[in-house]
Amino acid sequence: MQVSPTGVEQRSAPVRSSRRQRGSIEPWLYLAPGLLIFTAFMAIPTIGTIALSMTEWNGISWNTALFVGLENYQRAFGEGQFRNAFINNLKLIPFFVLLPAVIGLIPATIAHQLKLRGVRWFQAGLFLPYIMPGVLIGVVWAWILNPIFGPVNRILKQLGWTKPPVWLGDFTWALPTVGMIGAWAAYGFCYVVFLAGLKRIPTDQYEAARLDGAGFWQEFTAVTLPGLRGEIAVVMSINLINALRAFDVIKTTTDGGPGNETQVMALYMINSAFGSNQAGYGAAIAVLLSIITLVGSMLILRLAGDRDE
Amino acid sequence: MSKRVIAYTLLVLGVAIAVLPFVVTVLASLKTGPELAKGIFSLPEEAQWHNYRQAWVQGHFGRFFSNSIIVAVGVVIPSVFLSTLTGYAFARFRFRGSALVFTYLLLGLVIPLQAMVVPLYYVLRELNMLDSLIGLILPQIAMSLSFGTLLMRQSFQRIPRDVMEASIVDGANSWQSLWHVMFPLSRPMIGTAGLLFFIWTWNEFMLPLVVNINPKYHTLPVGLMYFQDRWTANIPLIAAGATIIFLPLIVMFLIFQRQLIDGLTQGAVKG
Repeated sequence: MQVSPTGVEQRSAPVRSSRRQRGSIEPWLYLAPGLLIFTAFMAIPTIGTIALSMTEWNGISWNTALFVGLENYQRAFGEGQFRNAFINNLKLIPFFVLLPAVIGLIPATIAHQLKLRGVRWFQAGLFLPYIMPGVLIGVVWAWILNPIFGPVNRILKQLGWTKPPVWLGDFTWALPTVGMIGAWAAYGFCYVVFLAGLKRIPTDQYEAARLDGAGFWQEFTAVTLPGLRGEIAVVMSINLINALRAFDVIKTTTDGGPGNETQVMALYMINSAFGSNQAGYGAAIAVLLSIITLVGSMLILRLAGDRDE
Repeated sequence: MSKRVIAYTLLVLGVAIAVLPFVVTVLASLKTGPELAKGIFSLPEEAQWHNYRQAWVQGHFGRFFSNSIIVAVGVVIPSVFLSTLTGYAFARFRFRGSALVFTYLLLGLVIPLQAMVVPLYYVLRELNMLDSLIGLILPQIAMSLSFGTLLMRQSFQRIPRDVMEASIVDGANSWQSLWHVMFPLSRPMIGTAGLLFFIWTWNEFMLPLVVNINPKYHTLPVGLMYFQDRWTANIPLIAAGATIIFLPLIVMFLIFQRQLIDGLTQGAVKG
């Protein structure tokens, strides 16, 4: 999903010109091609999801679809599989949401409060994982953590740990490991957003705090943290969305396994709809996933409060 | 003083952890299997370029690469063009229903692919677009339009009103003033939009995974996934394939770093 800016929307009224007339078809000519594609490939499928979620359909021919009302939803709530996937998504939240925010916040704060030079230079390196495809991240980490030919376990064994965990293949470790990969992919992004936010905090606030005899920690709690409220809210809600929608990295590292230890909603949705030909049930999961994501991110934005700009 | 040393060390460590997996992957792609087993940080004794040839030809990365390029170009140019038109419509004209249509288009910002991918598959099936590149291009354009419209409208609204009015006084119609005056003035924003569209398209995984079963139409991410399944133990080969995906991204990142970071952090963020 795209979250629109921290940015302020600048409103200026449309041009008042002699050529502009109410009821002219001119603007519609500009809108038509975009609206057409958007409607066909975005709006219709979205409404379709809701419609489809109330049917039982094997996905083969249209006339076999059967209206079943809310049965698919009942099934999702009643069934252990969906609940398991949902809980796994929740378990990813500390890793995807909190950890990268904290890891990003600490160096950003230190860099800012100590007035370090050249911090922009670090941005590029830190930001790199964020623009990389999830598949690539998954494939690279699957190799690095591979118990047989991956470097991590080889190094651990050299250090004397004779039986290190098999990470992504381990019932206990798989989920935290996937979580750590997610945290790794996001912390640099958090750092960059926070650093940009810190630059917007007026320096006289720091000076005032210092005059009052505030140390590093007081500066942090009295000036930095409140000043970053908006950025923290944006970052956390983006990370939360990523946690609830996780798919690419999980598909390429564990594919939901071992067992169903890392099964998540998006994966379960795709598997139900296309793997076991239950298009209606898959659509119901898609609706639930969307509602959960929407509620979650609104909650975070609400908790962080309105930004006064 | 020592505080600063610790701070810099922390930062360097953070950068190293973020970048090392990629460095190690590039190194691995140029080694032989046994050489890799000896150490991952060492430089290859002799660069094994044939890993790339093998991935490109036998691993079909050549085809995946050209598919990815075709889809990316096929998405970015029309998306920029169409967002320019829709953004312009909202910035320039006041018309009945404008707020409603704007909201409608913006709903795309909160609708993830997951929310529509199941019916989308059947829409594409009806249109005979499964197992084709156009089946990836059109939905991806639709997913780009919401953000593009928002960005372009903002960009056009920031242009001083006098500028557009001057072109109207000169007798230009709305189409001419768009392409001769407004579009050139919005170039930075258009660049940002194009970059983001490119990255989203290049990285998209779920859509091509669902839409295209036939390997002939795989793009790089899906290709890499199946490739990994097939060659699990041949790490140098997988690393070569991985490098083929991220090298174009890194090159773009190095050139447009500023724009990209600003676009992704301040302008908008897509998860």
